[in-house]
Amino acid sequence: MNHLTKIKKILANLLDIDAEEITADTYLIRELDVESIDLLEIAVTLNSEFGVEIDDDAIFLKSLRIHLTGAEGSPLPLLLEKYPFLSKERLEEIIGDVADGPVLRVKDLVSYIEWRAAGPPPLPTASRS
Amino acid sequence: MRLSFSGSRALIAGGSCRIALILAKHLMDEDIFPLLTTRSRGSTEKISEHLDAYRGKFSTVHLDLANPESLGAAFSSIGDELDYLVDFAQSDYESLIASADSRKAADYFAKNISSRAELVKRATRMMLKKRKGRLIFISSTAAKLPNPGQGFYAAAKLASEGIYRNLGIEMAGRGITTLCLRPGYVDAGRGEAYLREKSREALKMVPTKKALSAGEVAETILFFLSESARGFNATEIIMDAGLSAGK
Repeated sequence: MNHLTKIKKILANLLDIDAEEITADTYLIRELDVESIDLLEIAVTLNSEFGVEIDDDAIFLKSLRIHLTGAEGSPLPLLLEKYPFLSKERLEEIIGDVADGPVLRVKDLVSYIEWRAAGPPPLPTASRS
Repeated sequence: MRLSFSGSRALIAGGSCRIALILAKHLMDEDIFPLLTTRSRGSTEKISEHLDAYRGKFSTVHLDLANPESLGAAFSSIGDELDYLVDFAQSDYESLIASADSRKAADYFAKNISSRAELVKRATRMMLKKRKGRLIFISSTAAKLPNPGQGFYAAAKLASEGIYRNLGIEMAGRGITTLCLRPGYVDAGRGEAYLREKSREALKMVPTKKALSAGEVAETILFFLSESARGFNATEIIMDAGLSAGK
């Protein structure tokens, strides 16, 4: 089972919806109405299922708006530093999308898990499980 | 009434105090496996000595709130399942507020509030996997009754109560609930030493004129861990024989 399929199954189970309703591009908050307590439960389950450390703040892009506001000039270099698990193309997409609401998509969780599974050093921020 | 319990593993922070040791025996009698935290080899030996008859039915875990790294190691060692946390952990710092050592006060709060928040967080995340858990914080009537020299102790207790109370609100929908117990004068731990010196003066204010025994407090905690007490959530229970009700 690949990472996306497994994450879809986890989300379907936790949110009590059909896995078929979820795609890599599905927005967690905008479309699935995920709340903060759901994010906590998703983090704990990802940690348990994949055996990797989860930084809640990073994987759910919780500080994204702070980083966007704090950046001088283009926010892209800062976002590349803060979210090393996301590609330049995905971050550019996020910058263009953020005005329409929370940008977190299922594929961002997949990117994080794949990045963690590859064994990078822990992020400098806290809130890990 | 026979109490029933839905869990099988309990972490007891501050596991070498007398109330914790009595509670551990009650838990083992209910087939619940207690994991008692200790800060030193001496505490570990004390636990082993007191619970010798229960060998194999409990374990000790090194955990020192002054050393946040010990939290990670402790939780790595206790396995994947946790149903209960009973939190007795508390260190001493007595000083008048205006004469306090700033560094010591900051360290005290880091240890008794920030590290406790981390302990609670880790325990909760473990419980969340089963969507079930119960956390009890052992506070003190000092949280309600100010006493010269106990300002930092009271502040740490009140802040910790806030953490537990909020957690109970946040997590109840996921089957995890909390409770804070405020015992009054107890004939155990730091209360025992105080009562030895000032028993008449202290108990004069208690309507029953008696201190609580460690056994009474342990039995009460056992009740609050049971299914019969599941309606108590995100609140503080005062157990002081009426001490704080009078004036």
